[in-house]
Amino acid sequence: MAIPISQMWTVASYVVGKRLKGNKRYPLVLMLEPLFRCNLACAGCGKVQYPPHVLKRMLTPEECFAAVEEAGVPMVSIPGGEPLLHPRIVEIVEGLVARKKYIYLCTNALELKRRIHEFTPSKYLTFSVHLDGEREHHDYAVCREGGYDLAVEGIKEAVKRGFRVTPNSTFFDGTDPNSVRRHFDQMMAIGVEGMVLSPGYSYDKAPDQNRFMGRARVRKLFRAILSNRKKEWKFNMSPLFLEFLMGDRNYDCVPWGMPSYSIFGWQKPCYLLQDGYTETFKELMETTEWDKYGVPSGNPQCANCMVSCGYEAPAVMEGFGSWKGFVGMVKGTFNMYKDDHALKMLNEWKNEEEGPLVQITKPAAALEETKA
Amino acid sequence: MSAETLKYTREQVETMEVAPGAEHEKLEGWVPELASEAALCDALEKAFDYRGDITITLKSGERFEAFVFNRHTGPSLADSWVQYFLPNVEGKQKLGYSQIARLEFTGKDRAAGKHWEDWVKAYNERKAAGEKNIGLHAEEID
Repeated sequence: MAIPISQMWTVASYVVGKRLKGNKRYPLVLMLEPLFRCNLACAGCGKVQYPPHVLKRMLTPEECFAAVEEAGVPMVSIPGGEPLLHPRIVEIVEGLVARKKYIYLCTNALELKRRIHEFTPSKYLTFSVHLDGEREHHDYAVCREGGYDLAVEGIKEAVKRGFRVTPNSTFFDGTDPNSVRRHFDQMMAIGVEGMVLSPGYSYDKAPDQNRFMGRARVRKLFRAILSNRKKEWKFNMSPLFLEFLMGDRNYDCVPWGMPSYSIFGWQKPCYLLQDGYTETFKELMETTEWDKYGVPSGNPQCANCMVSCGYEAPAVMEGFGSWKGFVGMVKGTFNMYKDDHALKMLNEWKNEEEGPLVQITKPAAALEETKA
Repeated sequence: MSAETLKYTREQVETMEVAPGAEHEKLEGWVPELASEAALCDALEKAFDYRGDITITLKSGERFEAFVFNRHTGPSLADSWVQYFLPNVEGKQKLGYSQIARLEFTGKDRAAGKHWEDWVKAYNERKAAGEKNIGLHAEEID
Protein backbone atom coordinates (compact mmCIF):
# COMPACT_ATOMS: atom_id res chain seq x y z
CA MET A 1 0.00 0.00 0.00
CA ALA A 2 1.39 3.39 -0.99
CA ILE A 3 -0.59 5.60 1.35
CA PRO A 4 1.60 7.74 3.69
CA ILE A 5 1.57 6.82 7.38
CA SER A 6 0.22 10.25 8.41
CA GLN A 7 -2.83 9.73 6.20
CA MET A 8 -3.35 6.18 7.45
CA TRP A 9 -3.07 7.41 11.04
CA THR A 10 -5.65 10.16 10.41
CA VAL A 11 -8.09 7.70 8.85
CA ALA A 12 -7.45 5.02 11.48
CA SER A 13 -8.05 7.52 14.32
CA TYR A 14 -11.23 8.71 12.64
CA VAL A 15 -12.59 5.17 12.16
CA VAL A 16 -11.69 4.08 15.70
CA GLY A 17 -13.22 7.28 17.11
CA LYS A 18 -16.49 6.67 15.27
CA ARG A 19 -16.51 3.06 16.41
CA LEU A 20 -15.92 4.00 20.06
CA LYS A 21 -18.80 6.48 19.84
CA GLY A 22 -21.01 3.70 18.51
CA ASN A 23 -21.65 5.40 15.15
CA LYS A 24 -22.90 2.78 12.71
CA ARG A 25 -23.25 5.04 9.68
CA TYR A 26 -20.59 7.62 9.01
CA PRO A 27 -18.82 9.01 5.94
CA LEU A 28 -15.17 8.47 5.16
CA VAL A 29 -14.60 10.43 1.96
CA LEU A 30 -16.66 13.32 0.59
CA MET A 31 -17.13 13.17 -3.17
CA LEU A 32 -17.16 16.89 -3.85
CA GLU A 33 -18.26 17.76 -7.38
CA PRO A 34 -17.71 21.50 -7.82
CA LEU A 35 -18.92 21.44 -11.45
CA PHE A 36 -20.09 19.02 -14.13
CA ARG A 37 -18.42 20.72 -17.08
CA CYS A 38 -15.76 18.58 -18.73
CA ASN A 39 -13.33 18.86 -21.62
CA LEU A 40 -13.73 15.20 -22.57
CA ALA A 41 -16.73 13.21 -23.79
CA CYS A 42 -15.92 9.69 -22.55
CA ALA A 43 -17.96 6.72 -23.69
CA GLY A 44 -18.45 5.20 -20.26
CA CYS A 45 -19.22 8.38 -18.34
CA GLY A 46 -22.75 9.38 -17.37
CA LYS A 47 -21.78 12.40 -15.25
CA VAL A 48 -21.68 15.32 -17.64
CA GLN A 49 -24.77 15.12 -19.85
CA TYR A 50 -26.54 18.35 -18.89
CA PRO A 51 -27.80 21.48 -20.69
CA PRO A 52 -25.20 24.27 -21.04
CA HIS A 53 -26.76 26.48 -18.38
CA VAL A 54 -26.34 23.65 -15.86
CA LEU A 55 -22.77 22.92 -16.98
CA LYS A 56 -21.90 26.57 -16.38
CA ARG A 57 -22.93 26.38 -12.73
CA MET A 58 -20.27 25.83 -10.09
CA LEU A 59 -19.96 25.49 -6.36
CA THR A 60 -18.19 28.41 -4.70
CA PRO A 61 -15.20 27.70 -2.45
CA GLU A 62 -17.37 28.67 0.52
CA GLU A 63 -20.01 26.09 -0.48
CA CYS A 64 -17.27 23.46 -0.82
CA PHE A 65 -15.83 24.23 2.63
CA ALA A 66 -19.29 24.20 4.22
CA ALA A 67 -20.03 20.77 2.73
CA VAL A 68 -16.72 19.37 3.96
CA GLU A 69 -17.28 20.74 7.47
CA GLU A 70 -20.84 19.42 7.46
CA ALA A 71 -19.78 15.88 6.58
CA GLY A 72 -16.78 16.03 8.93
CA VAL A 73 -14.72 13.67 6.78
CA PRO A 74 -10.92 13.25 6.88
CA MET A 75 -10.67 12.84 3.09
CA VAL A 76 -12.16 14.68 0.11
CA SER A 77 -12.24 13.47 -3.46
CA ILE A 78 -12.85 16.20 -6.04
CA PRO A 79 -14.21 14.67 -9.24
CA GLY A 80 -16.69 16.30 -11.63
CA GLY A 81 -16.68 17.26 -14.47
CA GLU A 82 -13.12 18.37 -14.80
CA PRO A 83 -12.10 20.25 -11.64
CA LEU A 84 -9.27 22.10 -13.41
CA LEU A 85 -11.94 23.93 -15.46
CA HIS A 86 -13.21 25.52 -12.23
CA PRO A 87 -11.74 29.04 -12.14
CA ARG A 88 -11.41 28.93 -8.34
CA ILE A 89 -10.12 25.37 -7.96
CA VAL A 90 -6.80 26.54 -6.49
CA GLU A 91 -8.68 28.45 -3.78
CA ILE A 92 -10.80 25.36 -3.06
CA VAL A 93 -7.73 23.13 -2.77
CA GLU A 94 -5.83 25.60 -0.59
CA GLY A 95 -8.83 25.98 1.71
CA LEU A 96 -9.13 22.23 2.14
CA VAL A 97 -5.40 21.81 2.71
CA ALA A 98 -5.63 24.53 5.40
CA ARG A 99 -8.35 22.41 7.01
CA LYS A 100 -5.95 19.43 6.92
CA LYS A 101 -8.17 17.34 4.69
CA TYR A 102 -6.54 14.74 2.48
CA ILE A 103 -7.63 15.68 -1.04
CA TYR A 104 -7.73 13.59 -4.19
CA LEU A 105 -8.12 16.02 -7.08
CA CYS A 106 -9.45 13.84 -9.91
CA THR A 107 -8.40 15.21 -13.26
CA ASN A 108 -8.07 14.02 -16.84
CA ALA A 109 -4.84 16.08 -16.77
CA LEU A 110 -5.40 17.73 -20.14
CA GLU A 111 -4.80 21.03 -18.34
CA LEU A 112 -2.50 19.75 -15.61
CA LYS A 113 0.89 20.66 -17.08
CA ARG A 114 -0.34 24.17 -17.90
CA ARG A 115 -1.80 24.80 -14.44
CA ILE A 116 0.47 22.82 -12.13
CA HIS A 117 2.49 25.92 -11.15
CA GLU A 118 -0.62 27.35 -9.46
CA PHE A 119 -0.62 24.52 -6.88
CA THR A 120 1.72 23.92 -3.95
CA PRO A 121 2.91 20.40 -3.10
CA SER A 122 1.50 19.10 0.16
CA LYS A 123 1.06 15.75 1.86
CA TYR A 124 -2.65 16.62 1.84
CA LEU A 125 -2.91 17.01 -1.95
CA THR A 126 -2.88 14.17 -4.47
CA PHE A 127 -3.55 14.51 -8.18
CA SER A 128 -5.63 11.48 -9.12
CA VAL A 129 -5.16 11.35 -12.87
CA HIS A 130 -7.71 9.58 -15.06
CA LEU A 131 -5.69 7.13 -17.14
CA ASP A 132 -7.52 4.06 -18.40
CA GLY A 133 -4.51 2.01 -19.40
CA GLU A 134 -1.92 2.14 -22.15
CA ARG A 135 -1.94 4.90 -24.78
CA GLU A 136 -4.33 3.41 -27.33
CA HIS A 137 -6.64 2.00 -24.69
CA HIS A 138 -6.85 5.26 -22.80
CA ASP A 139 -7.36 7.37 -25.92
CA TYR A 140 -10.14 5.10 -27.05
CA ALA A 141 -11.82 5.09 -23.64
CA VAL A 142 -11.78 8.89 -23.46
CA CYS A 143 -12.57 9.18 -27.18
CA ARG A 144 -9.63 11.44 -27.94
CA GLU A 145 -6.31 10.70 -29.55
CA GLY A 146 -3.48 12.43 -27.76
CA GLY A 147 -5.29 12.32 -24.41
CA TYR A 148 -2.82 9.82 -22.99
CA ASP A 149 0.24 11.83 -23.98
CA LEU A 150 -1.15 14.99 -22.41
CA ALA A 151 -2.07 13.16 -19.22
CA VAL A 152 1.34 11.50 -18.93
CA GLU A 153 3.08 14.84 -19.52
CA GLY A 154 0.99 16.25 -16.69
CA ILE A 155 1.83 13.31 -14.42
CA LYS A 156 5.56 13.62 -15.11
CA GLU A 157 5.52 17.35 -14.41
CA ALA A 158 3.56 16.86 -11.18
CA VAL A 159 5.91 14.09 -10.01
CA LYS A 160 8.92 16.27 -10.89
CA ARG A 161 7.52 19.11 -8.77
CA GLY A 162 7.04 16.83 -5.77
CA PHE A 163 3.29 16.29 -5.88
CA ARG A 164 1.60 13.09 -4.86
CA VAL A 165 0.18 11.49 -8.03
CA THR A 166 -2.02 8.41 -8.42
CA PRO A 167 -3.17 7.30 -11.88
CA ASN A 168 -6.83 6.34 -11.66
CA SER A 169 -8.03 3.66 -14.09
CA THR A 170 -11.53 2.46 -14.86
CA PHE A 171 -11.90 -0.83 -16.71
CA PHE A 172 -14.78 -1.96 -18.91
CA ASP A 173 -15.66 -5.16 -20.70
CA GLY A 174 -12.96 -5.99 -23.22
CA THR A 175 -10.06 -4.85 -21.04
CA ASP A 176 -6.89 -6.85 -21.64
CA PRO A 177 -5.31 -7.66 -18.24
CA ASN A 178 -1.86 -8.08 -19.80
CA SER A 179 -2.05 -4.54 -21.09
CA VAL A 180 -3.19 -3.30 -17.68
CA ARG A 181 -0.16 -4.95 -16.05
CA ARG A 182 2.13 -3.25 -18.58
CA HIS A 183 0.37 0.00 -17.72
CA PHE A 184 1.24 -0.55 -14.03
CA ASP A 185 4.90 -1.05 -14.99
CA GLN A 186 4.92 2.15 -17.03
CA MET A 187 3.27 4.23 -14.31
CA MET A 188 5.49 2.97 -11.50
CA ALA A 189 8.54 3.70 -13.67
CA ILE A 190 7.40 7.33 -13.93
CA GLY A 191 7.42 7.53 -10.15
CA VAL A 192 3.76 7.77 -9.20
CA GLU A 193 2.82 7.07 -5.59
CA GLY A 194 0.45 4.21 -6.38
CA MET A 195 -2.33 3.02 -8.65
CA VAL A 196 -6.09 3.44 -8.19
CA LEU A 197 -8.41 0.99 -9.99
CA SER A 198 -12.10 0.53 -10.53
CA PRO A 199 -14.48 -1.49 -12.66
CA GLY A 200 -16.80 0.72 -14.71
CA TYR A 201 -20.25 1.42 -13.36
CA SER A 202 -23.27 1.07 -15.66
CA TYR A 203 -24.34 4.72 -15.74
CA ASP A 204 -27.69 4.76 -17.49
CA LYS A 205 -26.76 8.11 -19.08
CA ALA A 206 -23.44 6.90 -20.54
CA PRO A 207 -23.17 6.90 -24.36
CA ASP A 208 -22.03 3.27 -24.52
CA GLN A 209 -24.45 0.88 -22.80
CA ASN A 210 -22.89 -2.35 -24.05
CA ARG A 211 -19.61 -2.67 -22.19
CA PHE A 212 -20.45 -2.94 -18.52
CA MET A 213 -19.12 -6.04 -16.80
CA GLY A 214 -21.21 -8.09 -14.41
CA ARG A 215 -19.75 -9.10 -11.06
CA ALA A 216 -18.50 -12.53 -12.18
CA ARG A 217 -16.54 -10.99 -15.04
CA VAL A 218 -15.18 -8.18 -12.84
CA ARG A 219 -13.78 -10.71 -10.37
CA LYS A 220 -12.22 -12.75 -13.19
CA LEU A 221 -10.59 -9.68 -14.73
CA PHE A 222 -9.24 -8.33 -11.45
CA ARG A 223 -7.98 -11.77 -10.40
CA ALA A 224 -6.00 -11.89 -13.64
CA ILE A 225 -4.70 -8.35 -13.16
CA LEU A 226 -3.92 -8.38 -9.44
CA SER A 227 -2.63 -11.91 -8.82
CA ASN A 228 1.11 -12.55 -9.15
CA ARG A 229 1.92 -8.91 -8.50
CA LYS A 230 5.29 -7.37 -9.07
CA LYS A 231 7.00 -5.97 -6.00
CA GLU A 232 7.36 -2.58 -7.71
CA TRP A 233 3.60 -2.13 -7.92
CA LYS A 234 1.96 0.05 -5.29
CA PHE A 235 -1.75 0.70 -4.87
CA ASN A 236 -3.28 3.73 -3.25
CA MET A 237 -6.27 1.71 -2.12
CA SER A 238 -7.24 -0.57 0.73
CA PRO A 239 -5.72 -4.06 0.17
CA LEU A 240 -9.01 -5.48 1.44
CA PHE A 241 -10.91 -3.65 -1.29
CA LEU A 242 -8.54 -5.08 -3.90
CA GLU A 243 -9.23 -8.55 -2.46
CA PHE A 244 -12.93 -7.77 -2.85
CA LEU A 245 -12.39 -6.99 -6.54
CA MET A 246 -10.47 -10.28 -6.92
CA GLY A 247 -13.33 -12.21 -5.31
CA ASP A 248 -11.48 -13.10 -2.09
CA ARG A 249 -13.78 -11.05 0.13
CA ASN A 250 -17.37 -9.98 0.10
CA TYR A 251 -18.75 -6.69 1.31
CA ASP A 252 -22.16 -5.10 1.15
CA CYS A 253 -22.35 -1.59 -0.22
CA VAL A 254 -21.90 1.27 2.24
CA PRO A 255 -23.31 4.15 0.17
CA TRP A 256 -23.02 6.66 3.02
CA GLY A 257 -19.28 5.93 3.23
CA MET A 258 -18.53 8.26 0.33
CA PRO A 259 -21.41 10.73 0.03
CA SER A 260 -21.62 13.12 -2.88
CA TYR A 261 -22.23 16.88 -2.86
CA SER A 262 -22.70 19.01 -5.98
CA ILE A 263 -24.57 22.03 -7.35
CA PHE A 264 -27.78 20.01 -6.86
CA GLY A 265 -27.16 19.31 -3.15
CA TRP A 266 -26.45 16.06 -1.26
CA GLN A 267 -27.08 13.21 -3.66
CA LYS A 268 -29.29 10.26 -2.69
CA PRO A 269 -28.13 7.57 -2.22
CA CYS A 270 -24.55 7.69 -3.54
CA TYR A 271 -22.07 9.16 -5.99
CA LEU A 272 -23.31 6.95 -8.85
CA LEU A 273 -27.07 6.84 -8.48
CA GLN A 274 -29.31 9.91 -8.63
CA ASP A 275 -32.48 9.32 -6.70
CA GLY A 276 -32.90 12.88 -5.44
CA TYR A 277 -31.10 15.49 -3.37
CA THR A 278 -31.22 16.94 0.12
CA GLU A 279 -30.21 20.36 1.38
CA THR A 280 -28.17 19.06 4.33
CA PHE A 281 -25.93 16.11 5.06
CA LYS A 282 -28.01 15.31 8.15
CA GLU A 283 -31.13 15.14 6.00
CA LEU A 284 -29.31 12.84 3.56
CA MET A 285 -28.36 10.45 6.36
CA GLU A 286 -31.78 10.52 8.02
CA THR A 287 -34.18 10.49 5.06
CA THR A 288 -32.48 8.19 2.54
CA GLU A 289 -34.11 4.76 2.47
CA TRP A 290 -30.79 2.91 2.51
CA ASP A 291 -32.35 -0.55 2.35
CA LYS A 292 -33.59 0.23 -1.17
CA TYR A 293 -30.00 0.05 -2.44
CA GLY A 294 -27.14 -2.43 -2.65
CA VAL A 295 -27.10 -6.08 -3.67
CA PRO A 296 -29.38 -7.37 -0.86
CA SER A 297 -32.12 -4.98 -2.03
CA GLY A 298 -32.25 -6.57 -5.48
CA ASN A 299 -32.14 -3.09 -6.99
CA PRO A 300 -31.06 -3.62 -10.63
CA GLN A 301 -29.21 -0.30 -10.59
CA CYS A 302 -26.87 -1.75 -7.96
CA ALA A 303 -26.47 -5.13 -9.66
CA ASN A 304 -23.10 -4.67 -11.37
CA CYS A 305 -21.62 -2.16 -8.96
CA MET A 306 -18.29 -3.04 -7.33
CA VAL A 307 -17.07 0.54 -7.35
CA SER A 308 -14.93 2.03 -4.59
CA CYS A 309 -17.50 4.67 -3.61
CA GLY A 310 -19.69 1.86 -2.25
CA TYR A 311 -17.23 -0.88 -1.40
CA GLU A 312 -13.92 0.67 -0.36
CA ALA A 313 -15.42 2.31 2.72
CA PRO A 314 -16.43 -1.03 4.31
CA ALA A 315 -12.97 -2.39 3.49
CA VAL A 316 -11.28 0.57 5.21
CA MET A 317 -13.72 0.38 8.13
CA GLU A 318 -12.91 -3.31 8.57
CA GLY A 319 -9.18 -2.69 8.19
CA PHE A 320 -9.05 -0.06 10.90
CA GLY A 321 -12.04 -1.22 12.91
CA SER A 322 -11.01 -4.74 13.95
CA TRP A 323 -7.81 -6.65 14.68
CA LYS A 324 -8.78 -9.30 12.14
CA GLY A 325 -9.28 -6.62 9.51
CA PHE A 326 -6.04 -4.90 10.46
CA VAL A 327 -4.06 -8.13 10.18
CA GLY A 328 -5.69 -8.80 6.80
CA MET A 329 -4.74 -5.33 5.65
CA VAL A 330 -1.11 -5.72 6.72
CA LYS A 331 -0.87 -9.15 5.08
CA GLY A 332 -2.49 -7.78 1.93
CA THR A 333 0.04 -4.96 1.76
CA PHE A 334 2.96 -7.37 1.42
CA ASN A 335 1.24 -10.27 -0.33
CA MET A 336 2.14 -10.81 -4.00
CA TYR A 337 -0.95 -13.05 -4.38
CA LYS A 338 0.83 -15.92 -6.12
CA ASP A 339 -1.80 -17.85 -8.03
CA ASP A 340 -0.98 -20.39 -10.74
CA HIS A 341 -4.55 -20.56 -11.98
CA ALA A 342 -4.66 -16.78 -12.39
CA LEU A 343 -1.32 -16.88 -14.21
CA LYS A 344 -2.67 -19.49 -16.61
CA MET A 345 -5.79 -17.39 -17.11
CA LEU A 346 -3.62 -14.35 -17.81
CA ASN A 347 -1.46 -16.19 -20.33
CA GLU A 348 -4.47 -17.61 -22.12
CA TRP A 349 -6.56 -14.46 -22.00
CA LYS A 350 -8.51 -13.94 -25.20
CA ASN A 351 -9.84 -10.58 -26.18
CA GLU A 352 -13.28 -10.30 -27.68
CA GLU A 353 -13.68 -10.51 -31.43
CA GLU A 354 -15.74 -7.36 -31.85
CA GLY A 355 -13.96 -4.12 -31.03
CA PRO A 356 -14.26 -3.66 -27.30
CA LEU A 357 -14.37 -0.25 -25.66
CA VAL A 358 -10.75 -0.02 -24.64
CA GLN A 359 -9.17 -1.68 -27.63
CA ILE A 360 -8.24 0.21 -30.74
CA THR A 361 -5.96 -2.33 -32.33
CA LYS A 362 -7.42 -5.41 -33.94
CA PRO A 363 -7.86 -8.10 -31.27
CA ALA A 364 -5.67 -10.53 -33.21
CA ALA A 365 -2.60 -8.35 -32.65
CA ALA A 366 -3.13 -8.20 -28.92
CA LEU A 367 -3.73 -11.95 -28.82
CA GLU A 368 -0.34 -12.61 -30.33
CA GLU A 369 1.27 -10.57 -27.55
CA THR A 370 -0.65 -12.55 -24.95
CA LYS A 371 0.50 -15.87 -26.38
CA ALA A 372 4.13 -14.82 -26.37
CA MET B 1 -35.49 5.45 -12.81
CA SER B 2 -36.46 4.98 -9.19
CA ALA B 3 -35.39 2.10 -7.01
CA GLU B 4 -38.91 0.67 -6.83
CA THR B 5 -38.37 -2.31 -9.16
CA LEU B 6 -36.74 -5.22 -7.37
CA LYS B 7 -35.28 -7.52 -9.92
CA TYR B 8 -32.19 -9.52 -9.01
CA THR B 9 -31.39 -12.09 -6.35
CA ARG B 10 -27.90 -12.07 -4.83
CA GLU B 11 -27.09 -15.29 -6.69
CA GLN B 12 -28.11 -13.71 -10.01
CA VAL B 13 -25.99 -10.66 -9.26
CA GLU B 14 -22.90 -12.62 -8.26
CA THR B 15 -22.97 -14.81 -11.37
CA MET B 16 -23.70 -12.04 -13.86
CA GLU B 17 -21.13 -11.86 -16.66
CA VAL B 18 -22.39 -8.76 -18.45
CA ALA B 19 -24.51 -6.05 -16.92
CA PRO B 20 -27.41 -5.03 -19.13
CA GLY B 21 -27.25 -1.43 -20.25
CA ALA B 22 -30.15 0.98 -19.97
CA GLU B 23 -32.78 1.44 -22.66
CA HIS B 24 -33.17 5.15 -23.29
CA GLU B 25 -36.77 6.26 -23.47
CA LYS B 26 -37.17 8.85 -26.22
CA LEU B 27 -38.74 11.72 -24.36
CA GLU B 28 -37.54 14.72 -26.34
CA GLY B 29 -40.62 16.53 -27.68
CA TRP B 30 -42.99 14.59 -25.44
CA VAL B 31 -46.01 16.42 -24.02
CA PRO B 32 -47.59 14.17 -21.41
CA GLU B 33 -51.32 14.07 -20.81
CA LEU B 34 -51.75 15.22 -17.23
CA ALA B 35 -55.24 13.84 -16.83
CA SER B 36 -54.76 12.58 -13.27
CA GLU B 37 -52.57 13.06 -10.22
CA ALA B 38 -50.86 9.75 -10.99
CA ALA B 39 -50.10 10.91 -14.54
CA LEU B 40 -48.62 14.17 -13.23
CA CYS B 41 -46.44 12.30 -10.72
CA ASP B 42 -45.29 9.88 -13.40
CA ALA B 43 -44.45 12.72 -15.82
CA LEU B 44 -42.52 14.59 -13.13
CA GLU B 45 -40.57 11.43 -12.31
CA LYS B 46 -39.58 11.28 -15.98
CA ALA B 47 -38.79 15.02 -15.97
CA PHE B 48 -36.49 14.44 -12.99
CA ASP B 49 -34.62 11.72 -14.87
CA TYR B 50 -34.52 13.70 -18.14
CA ARG B 51 -31.18 15.34 -19.06
CA GLY B 52 -32.73 18.27 -20.93
CA ASP B 53 -34.86 21.30 -20.15
CA ILE B 54 -38.60 21.05 -19.58
CA THR B 55 -41.11 23.77 -20.39
CA ILE B 56 -43.45 24.16 -17.43
CA THR B 57 -46.79 25.94 -17.64
CA LEU B 58 -48.36 26.87 -14.33
CA LYS B 59 -52.05 26.98 -13.58
CA SER B 60 -51.54 30.76 -13.24
CA GLY B 61 -50.63 30.84 -16.93
CA GLU B 62 -46.92 31.55 -16.36
CA ARG B 63 -44.67 29.52 -18.67
CA PHE B 64 -40.90 28.94 -18.44
CA GLU B 65 -38.16 26.51 -19.43
CA ALA B 66 -36.21 24.87 -16.61
CA PHE B 67 -33.92 21.96 -15.76
CA VAL B 68 -35.67 19.78 -13.20
CA PHE B 69 -33.08 18.13 -10.95
CA ASN B 70 -35.03 17.00 -7.92
CA ARG B 71 -38.50 15.90 -6.91
CA HIS B 72 -40.30 14.81 -3.80
CA THR B 73 -43.55 12.91 -4.13
CA GLY B 74 -45.47 13.07 -0.87
CA PRO B 75 -48.82 11.57 0.15
CA SER B 76 -50.70 14.28 -1.76
CA LEU B 77 -49.95 16.89 -4.41
CA ALA B 78 -49.89 19.52 -1.67
CA ASP B 79 -46.91 17.70 -0.09
CA SER B 80 -45.07 17.20 -3.37
CA TRP B 81 -42.57 19.49 -5.07
CA VAL B 82 -39.91 19.76 -7.74
CA GLN B 83 -36.64 21.69 -7.68
CA TYR B 84 -35.18 23.20 -10.82
CA PHE B 85 -32.67 25.63 -12.29
CA LEU B 86 -33.72 28.46 -14.57
CA PRO B 87 -31.25 29.52 -17.27
CA ASN B 88 -29.49 32.76 -16.27
CA VAL B 89 -30.98 32.75 -12.77
CA GLU B 90 -28.79 31.94 -9.78
CA GLY B 91 -29.98 29.55 -7.11
CA LYS B 92 -32.39 26.66 -6.87
CA GLN B 93 -36.10 27.16 -7.52
CA LYS B 94 -38.91 25.13 -5.95
CA LEU B 95 -42.46 24.50 -7.10
CA GLY B 96 -45.43 22.50 -5.78
CA TYR B 97 -46.86 19.75 -7.99
CA SER B 98 -50.30 21.29 -7.51
CA GLN B 99 -49.25 24.48 -9.34
CA ILE B 100 -48.33 22.67 -12.55
CA ALA B 101 -50.75 22.64 -15.51
CA ARG B 102 -48.61 21.40 -18.39
CA LEU B 103 -45.19 19.88 -19.06
CA GLU B 104 -43.32 19.79 -22.38
CA PHE B 105 -40.00 18.00 -22.87
CA THR B 106 -38.72 20.76 -25.14
CA GLY B 107 -34.99 20.77 -24.39
CA LYS B 108 -32.46 18.57 -26.15
CA ASP B 109 -31.92 15.29 -24.32
CA ARG B 110 -28.21 15.52 -23.54
CA ALA B 111 -27.98 11.81 -22.68
CA ALA B 112 -29.41 10.64 -26.00
CA GLY B 113 -28.24 10.84 -29.55
CA LYS B 114 -24.55 10.31 -28.85
CA HIS B 115 -24.68 7.37 -31.27
CA TRP B 116 -21.70 5.65 -29.74
CA GLU B 117 -21.60 2.79 -32.20
CA ASP B 118 -21.80 5.28 -35.09
CA TRP B 119 -18.87 7.16 -33.63
CA VAL B 120 -16.81 3.98 -33.28
CA LYS B 121 -17.50 3.15 -36.93
CA ALA B 122 -16.58 6.69 -38.01
CA TYR B 123 -13.45 6.54 -35.86
CA ASN B 124 -12.28 3.31 -37.44
CA GLU B 125 -12.91 4.69 -40.93
CA ARG B 126 -11.03 7.92 -40.21
CA LYS B 127 -8.20 5.97 -38.60
CA ALA B 128 -7.97 3.66 -41.61
CA ALA B 129 -7.83 6.71 -43.85
CA GLY B 130 -4.76 7.90 -41.98
CA GLU B 131 -6.37 10.77 -40.09
CA LYS B 132 -4.64 11.94 -36.91
CA ASN B 133 -5.89 13.45 -33.65
CA ILE B 134 -9.37 12.02 -33.97
CA GLY B 135 -11.58 12.84 -31.03
CA LEU B 136 -15.08 13.13 -29.67
CA HIS B 137 -15.06 16.54 -28.07
CA ALA B 138 -17.24 17.97 -25.35
CA GLU B 139 -19.87 20.38 -26.65
CA GLU B 140 -19.05 24.08 -26.49
CA ILE B 141 -21.14 25.75 -23.81
CA ASP B 142 -19.92 29.36 -23.87
